Amino acid sequence: MEPKEILDELRGILVARLKFEPRRAADVRLETPLPKGVEGSIGLDSLDFIELSIAIEDRFGITLDEAEDLVPHFASFETLCRYIAARTASG
Amino acid sequence: MRPVAVTGLGAVSPFGAGVKAYWNGLAAGACAIRPVTLIATDGFRCRIAAEVPEGLGGSARRSRGDRLALAAAREALEDAGLGRGERDRAGLVVGAVGGGMLEAEAWYWARHHGRAPAPRRLRSIFPSAHAGVLGHALGLRGPRETLVTACSSGAAALALGADLIDDGVTPLVLAGGVDALTRICFMGFNALKLLDAEPCRPFDRDRRGMSVGEGAAFVVLEDPDHARARGARVYAELAGYGMTTDAYHVTSPHPDGEGMARAMRAALAAAGVGPGAVGYVNAHGTATPQNDRIEAHAIRAVFGEGRLLVSSTKSMIGHTMAAAGALEAVATVQALAHELIPPTANLRTPDADVAFDCVPRVAREAGVDVAISNSFGFGGQNVTLLFRRP
Amino acid sequence: MTRVAITGVGLVNAAVVGRTDTLARWLDAPAPGGAIALGALIDETESRRLSRVCQLTVAAARLALADAGLAAGAPLGLVVGTEWGDLRSTIEFVDGYLARGPAGLSALLFPHTVMNTMAAATAIAVTARELSLTLNAPTVAGELAIARAAAAVRAGRVEAALAGGVDQLDPLLLETLGALGAGADVRGEGAGFVVLESLPAARRRGARVLGELAGAAWRALPARPDGVGRRAASRAIAGALEEAGVPAGAVGAVYPSASGDGPRDRWERDVIAAALAPHRPPLVSFHPPIGRHSGLGALAVAAAARRAAASGAPGLVHALARGGTHVALVVR
Repeated sequence: MEPKEILDELRGILVARLKFEPRRAADVRLETPLPKGVEGSIGLDSLDFIELSIAIEDRFGITLDEAEDLVPHFASFETLCRYIAARTASG
Repeated sequence: MRPVAVTGLGAVSPFGAGVKAYWNGLAAGACAIRPVTLIATDGFRCRIAAEVPEGLGGSARRSRGDRLALAAAREALEDAGLGRGERDRAGLVVGAVGGGMLEAEAWYWARHHGRAPAPRRLRSIFPSAHAGVLGHALGLRGPRETLVTACSSGAAALALGADLIDDGVTPLVLAGGVDALTRICFMGFNALKLLDAEPCRPFDRDRRGMSVGEGAAFVVLEDPDHARARGARVYAELAGYGMTTDAYHVTSPHPDGEGMARAMRAALAAAGVGPGAVGYVNAHGTATPQNDRIEAHAIRAVFGEGRLLVSSTKSMIGHTMAAAGALEAVATVQALAHELIPPTANLRTPDADVAFDCVPRVAREAGVDVAISNSFGFGGQNVTLLFRRP
Repeated sequence: MTRVAITGVGLVNAAVVGRTDTLARWLDAPAPGGAIALGALIDETESRRLSRVCQLTVAAARLALADAGLAAGAPLGLVVGTEWGDLRSTIEFVDGYLARGPAGLSALLFPHTVMNTMAAATAIAVTARELSLTLNAPTVAGELAIARAAAAVRAGRVEAALAGGVDQLDPLLLETLGALGAGADVRGEGAGFVVLESLPAARRRGARVLGELAGAAWRALPARPDGVGRRAASRAIAGALEEAGVPAGAVGAVYPSASGDGPRDRWERDVIAAALAPHRPPLVSFHPPIGRHSGLGALAVAAAARRAAASGAPGLVHALARGGTHVALVVR
């Protein structure tokens, strides 16, 4: 999948599972950071990240191993899209 | 606060009915965490829990939670030797979360599949149902309360019970906690990825999460003068408690363990003892990576490093939710009385964060005069109970 | 033992969304309400993660603290009474599983399945870092929470506390209440809190004192778990009057927990009559316009304080649940 397509899927997840207003999700760009407290981020906290990872596993058919350090991949939509693209490509 | 006497104990645990079975299991370092039988676990990564074994007794028309609570409450009242007359003005404080949800879930599942089950199954859905059943069946007509502070509910119930005695409202209180396993609890902790697929390993370097359990425990709390006057046996004194709120996050504890440390310090202050007097900590010790790291940090902040004995009995009976604080209070009282510290089972390699002796795998003989029991819940609800040898 | 002052009230229900002044206007000219508008009380960032029942709670708590003029970050306890908790989120959580299996479970919804979720959200929103409790009881939870908080302030365990309750209607709940034979109840929804403070502390900071919570007691009358009992001798009313030093004959008005559940309402009237006989003060009830819910305890306490301030006669707030739990609060 292209990063652009993955981003659209993630926007859908923001609305359907993380209860963001549709217009807020539409405003999200690839460079938008995820974690709460980071300048310009959409403000996700630890519980949001769990919800997001469940939704990603479900939507993209991959398993996110919590023992692995996922923090760098959840820094922005760009890093996340790239990670998902790599994981889905490798099967 | 004025110390309150503990004069009766009752427990139904994954080791079976009765304080004796519970304590024998803990003292042996046995682990009661096994494959789940009460609910379907297909598709879940974790499929084990610590269930109360068959032979629960009581009317099958009652919810499982009510039956667990009744058995433990009856044992505590009989243990304290309280007759009908004395019970009449006794208070009742129940810590609960799941209520009759196990039965309500079955009702809802049946409805979802197009059947029309009787709504009677919903009668005892809420946590307050236990107190109604206990109060009626046991003739307790003093103050009656049901308390929900998530995983610290059972401990908070003992604290509020002690308040009733301290305030002179009543000389006797039956206080404790109960939770039966529910689908919602099991599914929810699975969704949060907080459950280990193997039996939990508190304070272990390689811990992977908690194990869910179920059970009930009640204690009789009594005004010391009242206990003395009737010649009651006093197991221990509940000499202080601390109850604090993180006001930080709905599921994560404060990263510095600030609220936990504040609860432990408040319990010491209420009892008028210094940290050096405490010989044993029955930890919350859920075995999630986060809880144990932060709790270890908070314990070190309050007690320093050294010889303190700290164990998590959840390694043997899992996390029994609203019952946990009460079951662990019973374990702490028994540890004082028997001069034996229950171990942390399944512990192979203590985490580097742990600055104390976790009593790995085997119970330790140790005469301890003062012990505390920690219970922390979602919503940053921290409770520390402090018990003293009488 | 310290005296307990009432220094603020916050209400969010169909008829009243506001503080002391809003309540006063409504008490002078009661009107039925409509939909609850939370408007500016909850901001958009918060609302994403707060279920509606949590939003009601946070909104009422903020109104009460603002009404009391209590600074954010002051040592504060919190006692929340509720009958049903966040049942709607619980149902939503379960529906996710029934629709899609484990992948349909929401980590965000799970904490809402535990009844302390409203207290947890509120403690964070208003920085309440002392004890925070959630008390669950049928029909009396709001009054019970206020009684428990009053005892904590009186004994010096906390200097100030937000106390009250919240409930939210749910179609499944109303359906099952009906099926269980309690369908005559007039149920409502909303949240309500009072701010209770040690009187010396309130005076020190120059707070406006709406009234004094002079006595609080709760006990159980004999009854089957969901049943209505026959005995009318109330230890709770006697205990609360004794604590307040108020003779039964001095009570100026009674605020019962009438809900439209006929047998329960009649039992409560008998209990009140037996406790105060031969004195028969007027009974003031709010369930026909607003509907019985755990937020009404705070409304009754605030209304009793207002009336007591005007008349000089103390008020008695009373609540009795099926199963026998009952609460008495003396306000002057």
